[in-house]
Amino acid sequence: MIYDIVAVILIAAGIVFFLGAAVGLIRFPDFYTRMHAAGKGDTLSSLLVILGFAIHEFRHFDGSGDVIVFLKLLAICAFIMLTSPTSTHALMDAGYEDGIEPVIGEGGENALAETRKTRKKD
Amino acid sequence: MKWFGLIATAFTGILLLSAVGDFARFGDPHSPANAGVGDRPSVSQYYITDTYADTKVPNIVTAVLADYRGYDTMFETVVIFAAGISIFAILRSLGGPVVPVSHPQAIDTSVDGDHQRIIIGTTCRLMIPVIQLFALYVVAHGHHSPGGGFQGGVILGASFILLALAKDLGTALGRFSEKRYLTLGCVGIMIYAGFGLLCQALERNLLDYEILHRIMPATDAVMARSHSMLGVEVGVAFTVTAIMFAIYSNLSSNGRLDHGL
Repeated sequence: MIYDIVAVILIAAGIVFFLGAAVGLIRFPDFYTRMHAAGKGDTLSSLLVILGFAIHEFRHFDGSGDVIVFLKLLAICAFIMLTSPTSTHALMDAGYEDGIEPVIGEGGENALAETRKTRKKD
Repeated sequence: MKWFGLIATAFTGILLLSAVGDFARFGDPHSPANAGVGDRPSVSQYYITDTYADTKVPNIVTAVLADYRGYDTMFETVVIFAAGISIFAILRSLGGPVVPVSHPQAIDTSVDGDHQRIIIGTTCRLMIPVIQLFALYVVAHGHHSPGGGFQGGVILGASFILLALAKDLGTALGRFSEKRYLTLGCVGIMIYAGFGLLCQALERNLLDYEILHRIMPATDAVMARSHSMLGVEVGVAFTVTAIMFAIYSNLSSNGRLDHGL
C-alpha cells in the first residue's frame, strides 16, 4: 500500500515535469532556452516516472515476485542520468559551434558572442 | 537517367501497391496461413504447438526466422551485405591523396583542453562497454527473449558509430578498420552459409540443422537445431555489425574515410 502511494506520487510528479518541459519547448524564444527546458525537464521527469515504476515493482521484494524488473528499472535510471544530460550538452555545443545567436533582452549582454571570439582565435 | 530512375521506382511502387490488395486481412482465420490449404494442416498452428518440441527454443519468432525459414534469413543477410558493398562501390574514393587513419589519436582530456571532449568522451567511455556487452547478450539470448542477430548486430554497430561521433572517425577506424569490417561482413555470411552447406555435406537438405548432432559433441537432434540457430545468429550479427559501420563511415566522410563529421 505504502509503495503504491509513493509510486503514484513519483509518477504524478514526473508527469508534471514532463508538462513543464513540453510547455517550455513551445514557449521559449530561442534554441538555448528550449534545449534547457527539454533537457532538464525530460531528464528529471523520465527519472521520476521510472523510479515510480521501480518502487511499484519493489513491493514484490518479499520474495513472491521478480526482483529482476526492479533492478532493470534502476539500471535504466542510471543510464538516463548519464546519457540524457550528455546528449543535451552535445546538442547545445553543436548549436554553439554552428553560431546560433541567443535572444538577448533589453540591456542584456551576449556573453556567448564574446567567448566565441576567443574560442575562434585558438 | 533521372527519368529512368523515376519510371523504374514508380513502376515498382505500383506493382507493390497492387500486390498489397492480395494480402489476407490481418488476423483473418480463413487465410491460407491460418486455416491451411485444402485439408493440409495450418502452418501457424504448427509453429505454435510444435516449435518447442522440435527445437527446444521458447521464442517462436527466432525458431521460424533461423530454422524453419532459415533460407529466407540467409538471403536477408546477403541483402544487407549487398547494401554495404553498394555503398562501398558507389561512395568509396580510393584515388586521390591517401590519408591513412588507422592510428588512435590521443584525446586531450586535460582540464585546459576542449571541455566538450571531457564530458562526451567520459560518458562514451562509460557507456560503450555496456552497450557492447548488451549487444552480445541480445545476440546470445535471442532464443529466449526478443532479440537475435539483426538486433544485436545493430546495437554493436551503433556502439562503434557512437565512438566515431564522440571522438572522430579515425579513432573508430583504428579499432575497426576498413579491412577488418569488410572481412567480418564476409565471414558472417560464410558462417551462415557454412552451417547450411555442412548439412548438405552430411547428406541432408541445405540448412536442415537436425543432422548436425553427428558432429556436435553431446547434442541430440533437437538441441542441434537450437545450437545451430545460435550459430547462424552469430553470423548474422557479424555481418550486420560490419555493414552498419561500413555504411556510416562511408556516408559521413563522403567515401574518403578521413575525418568524418
